[in-house]
Amino acid sequence: MKWTGEDVAIYERERDYIDTALLPLLPVAFGQGTRRLASGGELVQLIAAEVERQLRGRVFLLPPFVYFADEPRAQLVERLSDWTSRLEREGMRQVFYVTCDRAWQEEGEASRVWLIPAVPLESMEESYKHELVREQAAELLRFLVGRWAQR
Amino acid sequence: MSDNKHRVTRRQFLNYTLTGVGGFMAAGMLMPMLRFAFDPILKDEAGTEMVAVADVKEITTEPKRFDFKVKVKDAWYESEEPKSAWVYKTDKGEIIALSPICKHLGCTVDWNTDKEHPNQFFCPCHYGRYEKDGTNVPGTPPQAPLDRYEYKVKDGKLYLGKAKPRGEA
Repeated sequence: MKWTGEDVAIYERERDYIDTALLPLLPVAFGQGTRRLASGGELVQLIAAEVERQLRGRVFLLPPFVYFADEPRAQLVERLSDWTSRLEREGMRQVFYVTCDRAWQEEGEASRVWLIPAVPLESMEESYKHELVREQAAELLRFLVGRWAQR
Repeated sequence: MSDNKHRVTRRQFLNYTLTGVGGFMAAGMLMPMLRFAFDPILKDEAGTEMVAVADVKEITTEPKRFDFKVKVKDAWYESEEPKSAWVYKTDKGEIIALSPICKHLGCTVDWNTDKEHPNQFFCPCHYGRYEKDGTNVPGTPPQAPLDRYEYKVKDGKLYLGKAKPRGEA
């Protein structure tokens, strides 16, 4: 499900079935590294959208968690854990993050993090881009399905 | 004389030319009007165009996934939506093209991926299952069979149209 009126209406009806939240973590920066972050964020959103398309009956793709790359880490961690516990209180049995920001892998919740390598998308050929998104989406999909099977 | 028969009088000549020219002018005016009047009927329903998906030779009795793209208009932007179909031939040679969209909540089903239930379509989200012909397995979440694509075969190519609930296609 996506964060749209139509999908949320379905979500409200079928809450028991849609129990997995997917939250993209998007760092923003101006100046140094802008382009790399933008292109990483683009890829994250493309992949998340493709996974949502294939698993829309169980995965709720939320609007991204956006932050400045140089925000104090401790505050970010706190804000994210607040988001996560709210989602869990709302009935999301599993919450996963998808991001291109490596720093999240070093935090306590590393098992929820799915890291996507930052690739310069803008210099890539269209067909190759599609292939890349498809492959990365398939990997994330296997990860989610695997997690469901563990429960 | 036979020559006389073919002679056209001034009156006749004027009649012919004026009706001819007048007719053209009238048609020129009426045609656009008629076009406007009938336009809603003549217009293709959006999304009904058939898309070439595969060579018929590639289709076997084992369901195979084919990906294709359909143009869609979503509020204000037009884009290409990726779609796929599970296509196979029955023993009688009839082609079946199934939509991979699970009838439960819309996940994408896969063929033969559940080891405990081989030769079925399997939905990874809530473990819904369908027989090879798309019939939902009772006791699993889906309540309806998989949709079937309208199809036609032309010059050895398979064209797919809209996916319709079974019974309508």
